[in-house]
Amino acid sequence: MVEKDILEKIVFLKDLPEPVLEKIGNIAHLETFDEEGILFRQNQEQIFLYMLVSGKVFLNCRSTLGRSLTLDEVLPGRTFGVSALMGETSSTFTAVCVEPCEIITISGEKMRELFENDFKTGHTLMLKVVSIFRSRMKMHTRQFLHSLATHPEII
Amino acid sequence: MVKIEDLKRINLLKNFPDHLLEIIANEAQLSIFGTDTQLIAVKEPVATFYMLIMGQVAVKRELTPKMDIILDNIQSGSSFGTSALIEGSTASYTAVCQEPCEAITLSGTRMQQLFKENHELAYLMMLGVAKQYKRKMDTRAQMIMKTLNENPELKEDINDIENLTLVI
Repeated sequence: MVEKDILEKIVFLKDLPEPVLEKIGNIAHLETFDEEGILFRQNQEQIFLYMLVSGKVFLNCRSTLGRSLTLDEVLPGRTFGVSALMGETSSTFTAVCVEPCEIITISGEKMRELFENDFKTGHTLMLKVVSIFRSRMKMHTRQFLHSLATHPEII
Repeated sequence: MVKIEDLKRINLLKNFPDHLLEIIANEAQLSIFGTDTQLIAVKEPVATFYMLIMGQVAVKRELTPKMDIILDNIQSGSSFGTSALIEGSTASYTAVCQEPCEAITLSGTRMQQLFKENHELAYLMMLGVAKQYKRKMDTRAQMIMKTLNENPELKEDINDIENLTLVI
C-alpha cells in the first residue's frame, strides 16, 4: 500500500479525487531498487506500471546491430510502462536504475481491474494518456514536416 | 442506425460487449463518400468520428502551398477523427478519400454527451483510441531508431528523442 501524499507527487495522478487515489494506493507498492537494477527488458512481457518517486531511470533501446541507445532519462514524478495499462505487454525499451530508486509499482492487470470496476476513473486516466499521445504525435509530425521543408532533397 | 455486425468489422470495437455495440449502433450512420471528398480539415474542429468499412482515406499535411505530404493511408477497419471525441480539440491533419469510401460515422457532440452518461463506453472508447495511438507511435519510434542505427551521428541533432518513450 502507498500513502496518498506519495501518490500526489506523481504527475499522471494529478487532480484525481481522494477516494480514487485511495483505491490506487491500495493496489500500489513502494519498492526500492539498487543502482543498475533492471526493471524490465526490451521485448519482454511488461506487467507493471512504474511511477518514479526518487532516483533516476534510463530507458534504453538496443538496435538490431546490438548498439544501445539511451532514449530517455526518467526523473521523479514521471510514469513509465504505460503499455501495462493497455494490456499490450511487450516492452519497447529496457528500463535501468542509474542510481538507487524509490518506485511505485502497480500491476497493470490490477489497474485495469480497477478501471473496469470504476469506469469513470478509467475514462479520466485513459483520456489523459490519449491527450499526451496526441500531442506527441502532433509534435513528431511538425518536426517531420520541418525536416522535409529544410531538406527538400529528401523528397 | 447501423448493424452490430458492421460495427464488429471495426478494429477499435472488436472486443466491445454487445450492450455497448447496441448503443453505438443506434447513434451511428452509414455514409458513402466520393473520391476526393475532404472529411477533415487541418486545424478545424472535427464534428464526426469515422470508422472505415471500405475504401482508403489519405491523411495529409501541407508542406508548401504547392505540395501536400501523405502521412498515412487509412484502410478499412481503421478509425479516425479522434478529435471529435475530445472536447475542444482540433484536427492535426486533413483527411481525403482516395477512392469511393463507405464509413460508419458518429457525431462527436453526441458521443461526448454519451461519455458523460455511460462511463463504460467512455473508458472502452478511450482505451481503444490509446491502443491505436500507441501502435502508431511504436511504428514511428521503430522507424526513427532504424534511421539512428544506420546514421548514429544524427542523434546529436535530435534534442527531444525522449518523446519516443511514452513517459507521462
